[in-house]
Amino acid sequence: MSILKTDNLTYKYSVGTPFEVTALDSVSLEVEKGELVAVIGHTGSGKSTLIQHFNGLLKPTEGSVLVDGQDIWESKKTLREARFKVGLCFQYPEYQLFEETVFADIAFGPKNMKLPEEEIKERVLRAAEFTGVTKEMLEKSPFDLSGGEKRRVAIAGVMAMEPEILILDEPTSGLDPKGRDTILRLIRDYRDNTGSTVMIVSHSMEDVAKIATKVLVMNRATVMSYDTVPETYRHAEELLSVGLDVPQITKIFMELKRRGLPVRDDVYTVEQAVVEIDRLRKEGVRV
Amino acid sequence: MIKDITIGQYFPGNSVIHRMDPRMKLVLTIVYIVIIFLCKNFWALGLMLLSLVVMCALSGVPAKVILKSIKPIAIIITFTAILNIFYVRTGEPLLDWHFIHITTGGVFTAVFMIIRICALVVASSLLTYTTSPTQITDGIERLFSPLKFMRGGVHTLAMMMTIALRFIPTLIDEFEKITNAQKARGADLETGNLVERAKALIPVLVPLFITSFRRAYELAFAMECRCYHGAEGRTRMKIMKYSKLDAFGFLFILFATGGVIALNMFFRHVV
Repeated sequence: MSILKTDNLTYKYSVGTPFEVTALDSVSLEVEKGELVAVIGHTGSGKSTLIQHFNGLLKPTEGSVLVDGQDIWESKKTLREARFKVGLCFQYPEYQLFEETVFADIAFGPKNMKLPEEEIKERVLRAAEFTGVTKEMLEKSPFDLSGGEKRRVAIAGVMAMEPEILILDEPTSGLDPKGRDTILRLIRDYRDNTGSTVMIVSHSMEDVAKIATKVLVMNRATVMSYDTVPETYRHAEELLSVGLDVPQITKIFMELKRRGLPVRDDVYTVEQAVVEIDRLRKEGVRV
Repeated sequence: MIKDITIGQYFPGNSVIHRMDPRMKLVLTIVYIVIIFLCKNFWALGLMLLSLVVMCALSGVPAKVILKSIKPIAIIITFTAILNIFYVRTGEPLLDWHFIHITTGGVFTAVFMIIRICALVVASSLLTYTTSPTQITDGIERLFSPLKFMRGGVHTLAMMMTIALRFIPTLIDEFEKITNAQKARGADLETGNLVERAKALIPVLVPLFITSFRRAYELAFAMECRCYHGAEGRTRMKIMKYSKLDAFGFLFILFATGGVIALNMFFRHVV
């Protein structure tokens, strides 16, 4: 059974006013357990609105959201359960830090879950170690940390809740390449170690190609496609036509194909490109 | 919840009222409000109400939007009306039951007050509906420019007002974002008693304050980078000029004022 399911999910902002906007238009989607889903789509395509439905921050205008087969809007209890089952980390999460120490801030989520003191401590230490937050940092004020460190603390705050589904909205935006790689590695490791389902919203096609198992493409309030990474990039032309980008290497291969070379159309990483070009060489095609 | 507040809401348009000079609109609004309080009888008040309706029609702002501005003060209006009905003891008695005494004078005063307050609110809303916040602060700055010698200066105050107004929507946005982020971490903002709820706001307010300070610094730097150094030697992109429209507006209010004075003198005996 799928861990996350939406059924004809429709959401409208400002219902009953002249400013009514349909942000999601009957979205039906099923996410299997253990996937690492990348959500792409340009600004205003409904990505953020969609992920805010998964933990019940937004209530569907129509349709339903099921986490682990349970309709989250059935009662107050199911809604609260969904909040903890689905960990949502917003864009620029470092601006949500507020406690006096890093430790207390990471503990905020687990504390709200009403866990015993010992368990909280254990979880905070585990999340801190995982995200590379050192012992000295735990005692510091979160406001004395650098940008990248704050980001990791904020992500640790959500991870400490040990959600079954971890959703991150643009976790790498505003970071330098090194910080970006650290965060991406961390997200991948989290999924590998815990077997949780992970979803990331991203603008960077390179990031998506690197870590995702599935890609959800949103366009104009609807799901354009939900497929594996190679399948998604096989339709690179369509992605480009709705104003989305594809990895640079995919663009190069599209051009090669246009010029008549018999190349595969699902190349999206440099490693794959190397293999493909080697193959062409061996087959005696002039590259 | 926060989005329902209509104060300072601007309704874009290109009507004669929109095109009037903000300084003239400010002054005329104040004059209008003063005259409302000088009205001594229903005839005079009726004249002012009529001129208000004319101005609203000219502005092109939908009646529904204009009436919405009265909604937030409904409680004040009801309260004033009730007080007046029970405490004014002039005129013929209408009802005399135990401790409740209602007189014609009381009812008249109550109705009079309701109309007065509504007219006042609608008039000032009309100003904010037809004048953008920047225009208003600009207008205020120009009106008070004779007070330049004051420490700090009128310009600084006007700039502060502009910035404050500009950042209200940004802060509301930020507030909602942080609230959602903390809710996602299981913060419970909706249940509990007053103290618990106030405490639950700490995780929202601390980041909000910090963000505001950060924004203030960034804005100050950005302004300095663009060579802002206060009012001295600052020229304007849009120079305000009085036009014929303003003359008409002025005459309109002038006639209304004359009418009110005349009506006040003619019908001295009514209410």
